[in-house]
Amino acid sequence: MATLHILVRAGAIAALLSLLANGAARADTADAAHTRHHLKLPDAAARSTASYPIPRVQLLRADGKRVWLADELDDGRPVVLDFIYTTCTTLCPLSSQTFAALQEAPGVGHGRVHLISISIDPEQDTPDRLAEYAQHFNAGPQWQFYTGTIEASLAVQRSFRAYFGDKMSHPPLTLVRSAPGKPWVRFDGFASVDQLLGELHDQVAVR
Amino acid sequence: MILRQAVAGGLLAIAALALSGGARAAASSPGDASAVGEAIYRQGVLASGAPLEGMRQQGAPGGGLATRGGDAACVNCHLRSGLGSISTDRRVSIPPIAGQYLYQPRTMKAGDHDLPYVENVKADREPYTDALLARAIRDGIDSDGKPLGALMPRFAIGDADMAALIAYLKTLDRPSEPGVTDTVLHFATIITPDADPVKRRGMLDVLKQFFADKNAFPFGPTPHLHSSGKGIYSKSLYMANRRWQLHVWELSGAPDTWNAQLEQYLAKEPVFAVLSGLGGSNWAPVHAFCEREALPCLFPNVEVPVVADRDFYSLYFSKGVLLEAGLIARAITDAGADAAPAVRSVQQVYRSGDSGEPAARALTAALQRSGINVHSQALPASATGKRLAEALRKVSKDDTLVLWLRPDDLAALGEPPAATVYMSGLMGGLERAPLPAAWRSRVRMAYPFDLPDARVVRVDYPLGWFSFRHIPVVAEQVQVDTYLACGLLAETLSHSADTFVREYLVERMEELLEHRYLTGYYPRLALAEWQRFASKGGYVVRFADASGQRLVAAHEWTVP
Repeated sequence: MATLHILVRAGAIAALLSLLANGAARADTADAAHTRHHLKLPDAAARSTASYPIPRVQLLRADGKRVWLADELDDGRPVVLDFIYTTCTTLCPLSSQTFAALQEAPGVGHGRVHLISISIDPEQDTPDRLAEYAQHFNAGPQWQFYTGTIEASLAVQRSFRAYFGDKMSHPPLTLVRSAPGKPWVRFDGFASVDQLLGELHDQVAVR
Repeated sequence: MILRQAVAGGLLAIAALALSGGARAAASSPGDASAVGEAIYRQGVLASGAPLEGMRQQGAPGGGLATRGGDAACVNCHLRSGLGSISTDRRVSIPPIAGQYLYQPRTMKAGDHDLPYVENVKADREPYTDALLARAIRDGIDSDGKPLGALMPRFAIGDADMAALIAYLKTLDRPSEPGVTDTVLHFATIITPDADPVKRRGMLDVLKQFFADKNAFPFGPTPHLHSSGKGIYSKSLYMANRRWQLHVWELSGAPDTWNAQLEQYLAKEPVFAVLSGLGGSNWAPVHAFCEREALPCLFPNVEVPVVADRDFYSLYFSKGVLLEAGLIARAITDAGADAAPAVRSVQQVYRSGDSGEPAARALTAALQRSGINVHSQALPASATGKRLAEALRKVSKDDTLVLWLRPDDLAALGEPPAATVYMSGLMGGLERAPLPAAWRSRVRMAYPFDLPDARVVRVDYPLGWFSFRHIPVVAEQVQVDTYLACGLLAETLSHSADTFVREYLVERMEELLEHRYLTGYYPRLALAEWQRFASKGGYVVRFADASGQRLVAAHEWTVP
């Protein structure tokens, strides 16, 4: 948003128009996709896989315990991870609703998958506020929330390529890892419960 | 029909309206319909009192996630202004739904529209009609027949409620905003009668100079920014250079008369927003006025702000002495958690009617939650130094003493009665607090700012600006905060492309604040919907030396 306005202020009309044209082109692509898959929403999540170095940071869990991120990730269970902040009114509630539905899904419940939500607004999101947020979404014991210092939160965001400059413009992102050492599956966009279940299915089925 | 249903659910809608302080909607609404619409939009409450229900589509048809009530309210995404938002990487775009943006005819010709510029608008689509809009809200199909995004719920909403909601969306159009003319932007600053006269002068010097500087650039029409005439908004990319005009609203008399005075000022001098300002120990009437009048009140210099994160129009740098109370409470309870002996008794001293009174209440409440009892001594405002000395004699050596006192009282202190002393930095003068030598070594000061060494680069710029313009530095922190407030307003407006809507100003401020590097006394600033205090934490410090202003942190940066 800032970019556009800077352009406006600089009077860089050509650049502005080309930006607008890009937007139009993107809309066209969405239209084409829409024609091919009538039921697919224009902003369905894109899937990719990647490996991320896990930073050596401590986080503060909503129950007040200081924990190492690596220990939380490597507890043997498949992990589903997202980034949220509790005063977010747009994207995070949808992500969290998806997690809420996921934790109830057959094969996922009974603590078989670890759901992890990390705050990208750690100063505001005290453990108490996170606990309140967790309760609002009926988070069970297998879905845990984390805050910490600003530096720790940033380190985690950066290592997962999930840092976008400020909390308000963070795009929807969900990460799934079937087991420690396995690559991460990354969903940019709104991952549906079914998509996430698809990634988890093999793991939870054999358990 | 609409009316009847509105009356049926009227009580709830009115209650919701009262809660939301919707003076503006009440004033601009054509009737009950839009009041019902506002309750749907802002609270997710239907005319019947039942929660609004929606379903977000996911995967296969029929699959989805249900959302209801406040979680489903339109305001969550489209915001109070109705102008929506867009993420920096443009991946998530929430379009404006104020009526004029929905009903505009499709056209790509320049100059056919005078809509205020917002960048997330969908330009090339069929205009909505009431029927098409109802389809979009119920079925998630846009005016061109394409599905709306995953974020947009499909709402279950009856005809009467739908009509009320659509009526409300049309009231979000703001062809003109008070305090905005083609050539001038009017702002007010508010000063309460109990404000410190030295700070008052310091603040006004900065404000007046900032406005003079702002207006010193050649103004008048800037050239049109479009040349090809392709963009639908090219006409409104024309941004006028408006002069800024400052109105100083000085209040007098008792706080219960301030509202009437403010109403008179506003009627006589309509303003777009309130900028900075200076309070004493009571800012609540001003806060309430701004909420009622839907008037942004941007970063006033107040020690005791109103803590109401669900209010909208008042933004503060920090919680002031209430934050200090939290910092001191944390320091005291942490001391008990360590190997050090647990704090047994806390004694605090303040003067009645001063900022220390609400701060002391906040400290008592915070410590009681940790099972620590607090004894408070309130000195009358007019009490002499002798009374203060008597009060301190009741404090024993093993007590933890907390001082909510001004520099005059601090300078006159006798021998310290307690080993551990905490004090308010904001009230006592921060690193300039005139503490007698015997007190300096044992005092821990709440310090709701970045440490002097750490902020030096960020504060040097405003200090240089003051010096270059011959502004005497008489109250550094207040003056730097005032300069910061001015800079934040200028920056936010420069990113708002002449879209002068009060709610949009607040929303843009929330969004842009986090990107600000020059944050003055504060290590960082950030807001969001339901966050009204930009800096959340602070230090507890002690003096490094027997004299001078050097501080060291006794406790790391803490968000209580």
